[in-house]
Amino acid sequence: MPLRTQIEVKEIEGVLNTVLNTKSPPVGRCRLLSSGFNPAHALNISENISGHKECLACGNCIDICPFLSREPSRREKTEQRTSMALESIVGEDCDLCDACILVCPQVDTTIKNYVINHRMVEVMSRLEQRIGDEDELDLDLFLEEALS
Amino acid sequence: MDFEIPQELKMVQSLVRDFVNDQLKPLERDIMGRATDLSDAKMSLPPETEEKLVKMANDIGLWGVNIPEELGGAGLGTLCSCLVEEELAQTVIPFNFGDVTPILFHCNVEQKKSYFLPVLNRQRYAYLALMEPGKGANISSLGTRAEREQDHYILNGKKLSFSKAGRDYFAVVFAATAQGGTKDGVTCLLVDKDTPGFSVTGGEEKTGWRAQEEEPMLLSFDNCRVPAENILGKEGKAFHLGKKWLPSSRVIRGARCVGVAQRLLEEAVTQAQSFQSFGQLISKRTSIEAALADIAVEAHAGRLMVYEAAGKADNGEPIRHEAAMVKLFTAKMLGSVADRVAYIFNGPPCIAGLPMERLCRNALVTSTIELTLELQRSIIAKDILKGLKV
Repeated sequence: MPLRTQIEVKEIEGVLNTVLNTKSPPVGRCRLLSSGFNPAHALNISENISGHKECLACGNCIDICPFLSREPSRREKTEQRTSMALESIVGEDCDLCDACILVCPQVDTTIKNYVINHRMVEVMSRLEQRIGDEDELDLDLFLEEALS
Repeated sequence: MDFEIPQELKMVQSLVRDFVNDQLKPLERDIMGRATDLSDAKMSLPPETEEKLVKMANDIGLWGVNIPEELGGAGLGTLCSCLVEEELAQTVIPFNFGDVTPILFHCNVEQKKSYFLPVLNRQRYAYLALMEPGKGANISSLGTRAEREQDHYILNGKKLSFSKAGRDYFAVVFAATAQGGTKDGVTCLLVDKDTPGFSVTGGEEKTGWRAQEEEPMLLSFDNCRVPAENILGKEGKAFHLGKKWLPSSRVIRGARCVGVAQRLLEEAVTQAQSFQSFGQLISKRTSIEAALADIAVEAHAGRLMVYEAAGKADNGEPIRHEAAMVKLFTAKMLGSVADRVAYIFNGPPCIAGLPMERLCRNALVTSTIELTLELQRSIIAKDILKGLKV
């Protein structure tokens, strides 16, 4: 639920790409690069929390993580459903799919748009090895069968 | 061009619809718990209820609808399976009509008696042991190895299985054989429960996507001696199994998305016609009308794509890129439908207790559990670059 005026990605593109290239869930760092909490979504409290960048602990990133879908026993390591928890339980096993960024309510839409428009090609190139030749099945069909 | 569903398939669809409406939907409250309080929600159906439903499905001839005729099923084809899946997806009750993995369709006569038919009749459960702990989605080079020793294979390694647990079981293990560790050197072996060295741990039901996901079982193989006749298919050809059926499964899962979208639309219509704001039913508001119309259009488009691909599959045509298109579109469509339904319900779909919470959660799971949609984009793009006209 970021502010109306959001971060201009050009200003942080270098840092953002470093974050996205690091083999660890990027959502927490993308949240910190975002504009922060929009007061329009806050309850009527005296404290001004506009622009705060804390994790809301909604757990969306934990739920969407494909690695944790495959190995949910890792979720047992903590009761927390925060982006920090995601980072500590997934760590370097991150698939770099960037799904956690896209579901985080605290990440700016500008960053999400950048990920979709500029980074999905990288994700796709990593996936190509899972497509079989024309006359054989792609390996993803077996993975889907094993997971469904 | 014929968009008409054959009469006999319409009858099956109607039968399944009645079964879902009369038998499954009334059980939803038990699975979801009371509104705003999930303390009494259940993870799965009680065994006695499940038995009753299976018997009923058997009695009305729905058990094994998508199993080929030569293997004892109804063999009604992909389009029929899609119609059935679309109806079943309209409830959150975890129930199917005897799904058996198409990989087991390759059982020979002996294996059919000992493995396939008991699975179809729910006397035995099959663990599909493909993924390995810590290996992620990289299944082309497996750590589990099977070394040939005269008329046996010596199996060593660990596997994760997401299949449902049962008392009597066996494992369908994908292992690298001595010839190589790449995908061309992978062999599929059937390993019985009592084989020395084979053990299963874990598998308890966990929270998360209730009634949809279970903790994976950890299957350990420690110098397991597996008879050579337990090879499924041919040695080194594990990734050639299911060639005829697996591509259709992508379309059938697309039908599942369409079914969930249909149910979400119905829930949204009920909400729009019963909830008032500022003295007026929200269904009178143009933004709600627009959201309902968009949901209906997207669900309809997804349905047509599913039916077209299923029709092609039933005609024996290759459906590689059609299946990829179906999966890509329906998964995205469901996400977008869930968003709009959340808007109509005036709250994020993740709030437990809202009627569409479970359906939306399942909608989210569809695109994560079933792996990445970018792969489908790659498949479609490759075919287009090779000259595919769409």
